[in-house]
Amino acid sequence: MTAGAPIRYADLVLDDRVHDSVYTDPQIFEEEIDRIFHHGWVFVGHEGEVPEPGDYRSRELGRQPVIFARGDDGVVRVLMNRCTHRGAMVCPYERGNSRFFTCAYHGWTFRNSGGLVGVPHPEQYGDSFDRDALGLRPVPRCDSYRGFVFASLSVDVVPLVEHLGPRVLAEMDIAGDLSPSGRLEVTAGVHKFGYGGNWKLQLENSVDGYHITHLHRSYFRIQEERSGRDAMRFATAASPALVHSLGNGHVAWDLSPAGFGGAAIERLRNTPGWPRDYYDLLVSAHGQARAHEVLSHGAGHVAIFPNLVIIASQLRMIRPVAVDRTEVFIYPTLLSDVPPEMNEERLRRHESFYGPAGGGATDDLEVFERVTAGLRAKVDPWIRIDRGLGREVEADDGTVSAQITSELSNRAILGHWRRVMSGEASVRLSPRRSTEE
Amino acid sequence: MLDHHGVEQFLYREARLMDTHAYDTWLELWARTAHYWIPCNGDDIDVTRHVSLVNEDRPGLEDRVQRLKSGAHYAQDPPSRLSRVVSNVELDQHSSPDALVVHSTFNLSAHRRRRLDVVAGRVTHRLVLEDGQVRIATKKVVLVDNDDTIMNLTYLV
Repeated sequence: MTAGAPIRYADLVLDDRVHDSVYTDPQIFEEEIDRIFHHGWVFVGHEGEVPEPGDYRSRELGRQPVIFARGDDGVVRVLMNRCTHRGAMVCPYERGNSRFFTCAYHGWTFRNSGGLVGVPHPEQYGDSFDRDALGLRPVPRCDSYRGFVFASLSVDVVPLVEHLGPRVLAEMDIAGDLSPSGRLEVTAGVHKFGYGGNWKLQLENSVDGYHITHLHRSYFRIQEERSGRDAMRFATAASPALVHSLGNGHVAWDLSPAGFGGAAIERLRNTPGWPRDYYDLLVSAHGQARAHEVLSHGAGHVAIFPNLVIIASQLRMIRPVAVDRTEVFIYPTLLSDVPPEMNEERLRRHESFYGPAGGGATDDLEVFERVTAGLRAKVDPWIRIDRGLGREVEADDGTVSAQITSELSNRAILGHWRRVMSGEASVRLSPRRSTEE
Repeated sequence: MLDHHGVEQFLYREARLMDTHAYDTWLELWARTAHYWIPCNGDDIDVTRHVSLVNEDRPGLEDRVQRLKSGAHYAQDPPSRLSRVVSNVELDQHSSPDALVVHSTFNLSAHRRRRLDVVAGRVTHRLVLEDGQVRIATKKVVLVDNDDTIMNLTYLV
């Protein structure tokens, strides 16, 4: 495609508003794929999806196909899904278990760890033919934390732990430590849905505290009638719950000030059967202080730039398809070594809200399409993200916090987006700059 | 309980109630203890370990209907325009006098906001008598695309 004039990203994301072209301009989308998805850390999958040797999943980094596989040696790798001979995709399936990937074209065969082991009729190749040098190409950078596997198609990135930062790592610790053995099982399948709209709409929405009481009221009012509890209280303008900007475009909710976790602990302790059993297992595994800390955290929502959201019982992967087309894959997580009834309960609760037939997430997708339709009206091209601006509090570690319905979340995500897109963010900057630059 | 013709009429009636968003009347077709199941990522998954698209008991069904009637379930505002053909109705040999197992197929056109989706699948109903009325005890819907991306399945199938 022919590129237009250079895009001045600093003019598109301001402190209090964002220009609609950020969500609608095809040239900007192409540059996002290049700079964010082909040159930065991208979430690939969780090791709990491929627990056995030979387990694999086909994934995409931006537009580039990769195989996320556990080799027979037990090592999880991210390999380019392309035969080193003539380029055909060697793994056409979305998931499975295989010791080998065999190219359909000429039969070149690769181990699930990448090495080339079979070349039919090799005698026509000369002595210089080096089979060992022709394995499936590993992704240039790959690293993981607590089973969360990230990859980068560029070697020129900061270390993963630096990209994530200590607060995101702590959120991943909590997600894992909800299991007594510290492990998540990501084998419960996937809800796949999508919408006609830009990928950032889903990323921002995942930590948008302001929409809950309106957009999701048809879901939560029924919950309230059934439970007798005020299910939306955490997301009112008077709620003490917080949203934190953790740096590098990562954002997390903190519902513990709203007493969410304390109530959850009491319910677990006082309900005989699996709830009490789970509480006891968690306390004996982690000690009471850590168990309470993990449970008090409440239903965490953590958006990890650019394509991962961790919610209490799910991993959500966002896949940009086109400027106005996005796919969302939601993987419900099971906790390892807990009473089976608890995982069943997690799945049933998940199904009621999420997925293409769910009662909540479908309304989010509907709104993303309404936003996309509305943005065709160009008299005023600005989108406002100024709710709570100037009311943030900065902690010593650089974390910026605000009331849960603040649009700090949008400012943090889009502020980082602007720095990446304008080429400023190859090094980790302080979170402060994401909101006050 | 019902002969083949009666079973067909029952399924056609259910289809019409779903097509016309007659939520309360549709709910009346269900037994007091019910299970409505649309598997995800496969046809015969273990629901204790695997997520479904829909896996609801009677209270879950009532919640779904209440949401659809709330006027605030935006994914069905406006509602999809629906028309489905139900066919290949077959009484399973495992049917008993008090519980009919019925297989059928459906092909549904769903139109909403300039998009026409085709939804197709195989359905198994288990029909029982309750207070002298035929009621749906269980319904399993196997969508042909249950392992693919589905944009909006908030209408009744």
